[in-house]
Amino acid sequence: MELTNHFPALILAILLGISFLSPILYRWARKASAPALIASLFLALVMAVYLLVQVLQVGEFTYYMGGWPPPWGIEFKVNLLRVYMLLIVLAVSLWIMVYALKDLEHELKTEVMGWYYTLYALVVGSMAGMALTNDLFNLFVLMEICAISACAIISIKEDRACLEASFKYLILSAMGTGCFLLGVAMIYMVTGQMNYDLVNAALPEAVELYPNNMFAAAALFIVAFGTKAALFPLHVWLPDAHASAPSPSSAMLSGLVIKIYAFALFIMFYQLFPRSLLESIPLNEIVLWLSSMGIMFGSIFAMVQVDLKKMLAYSSIGQIGYVFLGIGLDDIIAMTGGFYHLLVHAIMKSMLFMCAGIIIYTTGIRQIKQLGGIGQVLPITMIAFTIGSASMIGIPGTGGLISKWYLALGALEIGRPIFVVIILASSLLNAVYYMPIIVNAFMQQEQFQHQVKPVPRKMLIPLIVGMAAIIFFGVFSRPAIVLLDEALALFF
Amino acid sequence: MDEATAITVILVVIFFPIIMTPILMSVSDRSEKLRDILAVVTSAITFLLVLTLYPFVVRGGIVQHTFFEILPNLEISIRLDVLSFSLTAIASFIWLLSTIYSIDYMAKEHGGSRYYPVLMFTLGSCLGIFLAGDFFTLFVFFELMSLISYILVVHEETEEALKAGYKYLVMTIIGGLALFFGIIITFELGGTVSFGVGSIIEEGTLIAFLAFMCFLIGFGMKAGMFPLHVWLPDAHPVAPSPASALLSGVMLKTGAYGLFRVIFNAFSIEVMQTNNWDIVLGVLAVITILLGSAVALTQNDLKRRLAYSSVGMMGYVLLGLSVLNENAIIGAVFHIFCHAIMKSCLFLAAGAIIWKTGKRTISELGSIGREMPFTMACFSIAALAMIGIPPLSGFLSKWTLGLGALDANATFYVIVLLISSLLNALYYLPIIVPAFFEMVGDEEQGHALKLSVQDVPPKMLAPMIILAIFTVIFGLSPINVPFDLSQMTSDFLLKGGWF
Repeated sequence: MELTNHFPALILAILLGISFLSPILYRWARKASAPALIASLFLALVMAVYLLVQVLQVGEFTYYMGGWPPPWGIEFKVNLLRVYMLLIVLAVSLWIMVYALKDLEHELKTEVMGWYYTLYALVVGSMAGMALTNDLFNLFVLMEICAISACAIISIKEDRACLEASFKYLILSAMGTGCFLLGVAMIYMVTGQMNYDLVNAALPEAVELYPNNMFAAAALFIVAFGTKAALFPLHVWLPDAHASAPSPSSAMLSGLVIKIYAFALFIMFYQLFPRSLLESIPLNEIVLWLSSMGIMFGSIFAMVQVDLKKMLAYSSIGQIGYVFLGIGLDDIIAMTGGFYHLLVHAIMKSMLFMCAGIIIYTTGIRQIKQLGGIGQVLPITMIAFTIGSASMIGIPGTGGLISKWYLALGALEIGRPIFVVIILASSLLNAVYYMPIIVNAFMQQEQFQHQVKPVPRKMLIPLIVGMAAIIFFGVFSRPAIVLLDEALALFF
Repeated sequence: MDEATAITVILVVIFFPIIMTPILMSVSDRSEKLRDILAVVTSAITFLLVLTLYPFVVRGGIVQHTFFEILPNLEISIRLDVLSFSLTAIASFIWLLSTIYSIDYMAKEHGGSRYYPVLMFTLGSCLGIFLAGDFFTLFVFFELMSLISYILVVHEETEEALKAGYKYLVMTIIGGLALFFGIIITFELGGTVSFGVGSIIEEGTLIAFLAFMCFLIGFGMKAGMFPLHVWLPDAHPVAPSPASALLSGVMLKTGAYGLFRVIFNAFSIEVMQTNNWDIVLGVLAVITILLGSAVALTQNDLKRRLAYSSVGMMGYVLLGLSVLNENAIIGAVFHIFCHAIMKSCLFLAAGAIIWKTGKRTISELGSIGREMPFTMACFSIAALAMIGIPPLSGFLSKWTLGLGALDANATFYVIVLLISSLLNALYYLPIIVPAFFEMVGDEEQGHALKLSVQDVPPKMLAPMIILAIFTVIFGLSPINVPFDLSQMTSDFLLKGGWF
């Protein structure tokens, strides 16, 4: 039995393992705890890259947990799209962790640091699992792990705003998982299966027998994943939660956690449910319009914010709408755009939150109004902010343009140019709230008034990596697009 | 020169100024003098390199070269034909003169260490627009230039400049998004956006019309077309004068150039005419011409008056594009040349006056011609050319445009041209005449024609004089390179414009 065969399970095992070890390490060998977490994230990433190579060579394959085949055991499915998601999760979380090392010292009390690492590893591990799992109940368990640890990662700062926000998140998120569980129960009642492929095989018959139950299950899934992924109008928890959390947590929650649920919804729609179900009721249409409204309202709400991190959080509501738009348009080109945006937004939003984190770290400012002239004292940070914003707007040369290009192309392909207009209008709105910050930061005449601490190099290096990545994915987007095309071809 | 060399030259022309940007930035900390010299050398080398392409282009050479695909079927490519050469040549020429002029002008201003690198970067991206081989590459450079030149617009960092800059930025982004929409529709309908395949869209469907309108918004915004000109009269005057000259003289032309490419490469003359899209353009052109000139009359700030005049003048180019016959296209291209030369001359002269005396309003400019005779002479020549007095170059372009309009049996357009010339005279002559002939001093001392020459230094004067001389030469002289190039462009475009 070769070790490499077990990589899908090992990724999960490593991340969950380190989450248990972290507090112990933090107590007995404090210096080793952070490097250990980074090393295990890196190890997981290497394994994920290996999985990618394997998938490219042999195509889709499955892994049975403990050697038990379905319907008894848990099945992990490894195909291009899932590995793509896995790679994003692991690479971005590793990158955020490097940044977090310095930022956390500033934001957290020292005694909870070990617990923070635990929670971080749990969130990443459960997301990695969600990307790979092929089993409904397993997905439910991982969702719960992810939701609870995400709540804790917000409330770990223990101030009033954080507790309030995490409580709100907890309730809505529990509502989401509740809906999901109800949906799963309905499906299990009629099919007797939990494995995606087996459910998928049994469903066409079940839909004919119990159409209403299956429609209800599909609707429940939309509510469940919509809540988790902050699909408009179920987004109410997100701004508070993402804005009040410590900056690395915000980066991770906005950059990754909401995306994984969008991904899960995609898998539900295109792998679990048969096409006939989706064609008989306009579920796509619902997602499409909700996402369009999210895109517009997220940006409009963002415009009126005075708090920088809150603005970024509202912007996330708009941006996750693009991913859902890809799902709703039900076209392979648009979907490519949606999934490309998933990657690009994970990078740019994390980077913007890092910039906000550095600004808070060095000056303590959170208000947008007070940022005038900050470009002179924090040039690299504000250049990174500029590039991130440019990508949000979709300036050529940044990744944001490529995803918008594909989404718009997909909308035209199915003959609905109205959604191109929505995409463009939202780009304009993005410009309206990002541009003034940049302009004021660099073009203010009077000197910056506040005290500024020097920026640690450990915080700047991740920013530079992020800038490079955004431009790289804006210029050399072809490989990722070709990979996505191939990955999505499996579902159409 | 063969094609491979031409490709190399084109690449150097685009990227040399861009590469020089960081170098200029690092040099400016050490020596301001070295920075100024380097900036001039950069633009001079760029201009000379552009000139070396001339024999290749005149022989009818065309370069269409793809570097790599950024997405499947969507490439980064360059193109050189007689149209792009004409624009590249005039842009780099004006840029060189403006850079020389900047040395003394900017010595009085702050922020030179930001100004020169940005100036060079804008040059590179501007030439990139003219030398792009497909709409996507053009779009990339277009956005790059528009966003970077924002820094030139707000250079003064006054409240007024920031306000104008914000307007500029918003309009730029709206225009950019419209362009993006247009390009996507073109790509969706035609499967490519390259300039090397002839007309991409051959049917005037509703969605194609949508694409046309998007292009019109995107490029028309840049060209100051009514009703998207609102940013222009605010943004151009607040910039430092050499930058205003470039904004009005060169960067406006990128919009016009884009419309040329849209009409001849995305669509075709047949599509334009069978679907009556040319009428849309014609109506907008007429409104732009009349509105620009009429509003210019009411302006009391010298640079604002010049900026509104630019709006009117770009209307001529649009008019040529809506008539779409041989003479009209010659006129449109030639007017791009003329207007670039005349308007930059005017802005440089206005800058010289502001630099020397600080006077910006027209009513203060009485008798300025006796203090600064050379500056005002250049100003007068360029202004007379604007009005269209023979034998200056503005006359020739108006004449050719008028001929084109008559060929198309559109007498109405000729009347518009005449009215606008009259308006031009009405707003330029009240600047020139008092400048030379207004009496200073009061009755008792007699109307002494006091002559106390205090003109600007030669580095500022030379560019203006060169431009003024060109205004004369390119009028009715037998050797008229721009006019020949315009004729070649017209022939080339009417034959399809892509082979």
